[in-house]
Amino acid sequence: MGEVPTLKLVSPPVPSPRRPRPAAPRPGPRTRRVISVGGGKGGIGKSIIAANLGIELSRRGRRVVLVDADLGGANLHTCLGVDQPRKTLSDFIERRIERIEEVITPTGIQNLGLISGAMDHLDAANPRYAQKMRLLRHVQGMDVDYAILDLGAGTHLNVLDFFLVSDHGVLVLVPEPTAVENAYRFVKAAFWRRMRNVAAVFGYDPLIRSLLSGNTFRSPVELVAALAQRDPDAARNLTAQLANFRPRLVVNQTRTVQDVDVGNAVVTAWRKYFGLEMDYLGPIDYDDEMWRTVRARRPLLLEHPGCRAARAFGRIVDGLLALDSAGARGERAR
Amino acid sequence: MKPIPEQSFYEILEIPQDAPEEEIELAYQRAKALYGPGSLATYSLVAPEEMALLNRRIEEARKVLLDAGTRAGYDASLPDSPGQTLSPPPSGPPPSESPLPAAAPAEPVATSPVQPAEAAPPGPTSVAEAAPPAAAEAAAEGAAAGAAAEAVPPEPQVVPPEVDVAAAIPEPASLPPRAIEPPAPVPAVPIAAPAVAPVAAAARAGFSAPEGAAWTGEMLRQAREGRGLTLHQLAERTKVARHHLENIEADRHRLLPAPVYLRGILISLAKELRLDPQKVSRSYLEGAQAAEAQPAAPKPR
Repeated sequence: MGEVPTLKLVSPPVPSPRRPRPAAPRPGPRTRRVISVGGGKGGIGKSIIAANLGIELSRRGRRVVLVDADLGGANLHTCLGVDQPRKTLSDFIERRIERIEEVITPTGIQNLGLISGAMDHLDAANPRYAQKMRLLRHVQGMDVDYAILDLGAGTHLNVLDFFLVSDHGVLVLVPEPTAVENAYRFVKAAFWRRMRNVAAVFGYDPLIRSLLSGNTFRSPVELVAALAQRDPDAARNLTAQLANFRPRLVVNQTRTVQDVDVGNAVVTAWRKYFGLEMDYLGPIDYDDEMWRTVRARRPLLLEHPGCRAARAFGRIVDGLLALDSAGARGERAR
Repeated sequence: MKPIPEQSFYEILEIPQDAPEEEIELAYQRAKALYGPGSLATYSLVAPEEMALLNRRIEEARKVLLDAGTRAGYDASLPDSPGQTLSPPPSGPPPSESPLPAAAPAEPVATSPVQPAEAAPPGPTSVAEAAPPAAAEAAAEGAAAGAAAEAVPPEPQVVPPEVDVAAAIPEPASLPPRAIEPPAPVPAVPIAAPAVAPVAAAARAGFSAPEGAAWTGEMLRQAREGRGLTLHQLAERTKVARHHLENIEADRHRLLPAPVYLRGILISLAKELRLDPQKVSRSYLEGAQAAEAQPAAPKPR
């Protein structure tokens, strides 16, 4: 199913004969991990978080490319203090440039490259399906350790697909009702899109549609339970595929202990109602240094590596790396 | 993981069945902070009615569990022996055995996030919990698979036949924040609920209640139809799941929730039908218990 880049499937439940595993470095260049930073609402710090995560990872010796996937409002280059690059993603999308590697602009930071977002063509803000697939394929094929996608606001299908294709879908919110509301809307939309993708791949579409035509399901648990009555095998497989949907939560601009706790509370409530998991990567303290550096168009981690918010990025990257190494162990054990 | 209406009071408060009173009170405070009105983390998460339902269950849980007498009665009404998580009342034929035990609700992750103390250090504590992802994933899978195997009949409400699955999720977001304030909690064990316009009203509605006769499901059905209500409408008004209403009317006692819940359901049902809540609930519960072959749960109070 490699030709469906928007869909990451867990290995099928049937015990497959053990295939010979390729030697440690996989043959051919391949991005090891894709991180995407989303959250539904605008202005909650997605781009700044993406930029600083990129810097932190590159400082730890990982080769990182930041991709400005905010196709309508690209400004990741501004967060990094890089001048508006000459080559952008639109050159790639419009096929003026064939290989995505050629669009990478150096950022002046070792190990960190930038693929700047489309700036000119309004068309590029809404790429056709085939263009989107090609972009995703190339992003996944880059010879780097991490590709970090900075997503736009909203719940457009393009945004959702980028989020779903990632190894780490980072969900950002700030402790305010508007941001919480949009984050839930975003994560629900992403979840149902994944459900539908999975259903399409395995041919559960008619079954699910017939279930949905008679009932409202408030949560995936209810839908899966109803499905189990019709087709237990399908329900089991669907459950396994959906358990893979596990956003990584970051709460930005925390000012109080209660703000920090919002992250834990969201994880708990999400599980209680939807039976799904999230990982709370931790808070990023509200820090005046942050907006000062944004104003100066300088990345926080370069200007004030010791400030509170900067240390928070360190902890978040610790968390991501822990998930990755644990994931790698789990994969090997499989 | 099971739907809120089927979670036991212990599961609602996320505490073990042998939790001491202080722990119950703490868990109650925690749950109120998280799911109560004004909570940021659950703002717009689910429809207001669902939030209200959970809040009622939380209040109910505290009320029942903090009274030694009612708690003992409630514990006895739980299907499993103490220490086991409550398995839901079988509301349908179990379709299959889940590959993993349903009684393992994702322990590796379910432990700390609710506790305020855990949140004090701003470090990413949850990451450590997620560190053994194989275990966590397995548990999550187990929980989800368990939920899948529970075969819950779908909730009421009719959905427009949408092709777009994403649109099928209820979006409470457009409501003003005040609107999510849940109504005052319905007392779980009403000692003296006002008898709202009992038999006379029912008679006016075209259904005459037999004086002194036992209330059965069939009579409740007639009362409902006498008032011109469909099951669907009644379910919407009372916020009681339709399958419960159906089971009540069909006198499928074994499929009904534990008496403590059932009483609450019957009371709101009776109120909606303008019947005497006390009479109806007592009479129906007695009938149900008499019909049960197994030893009936002790009556609360």
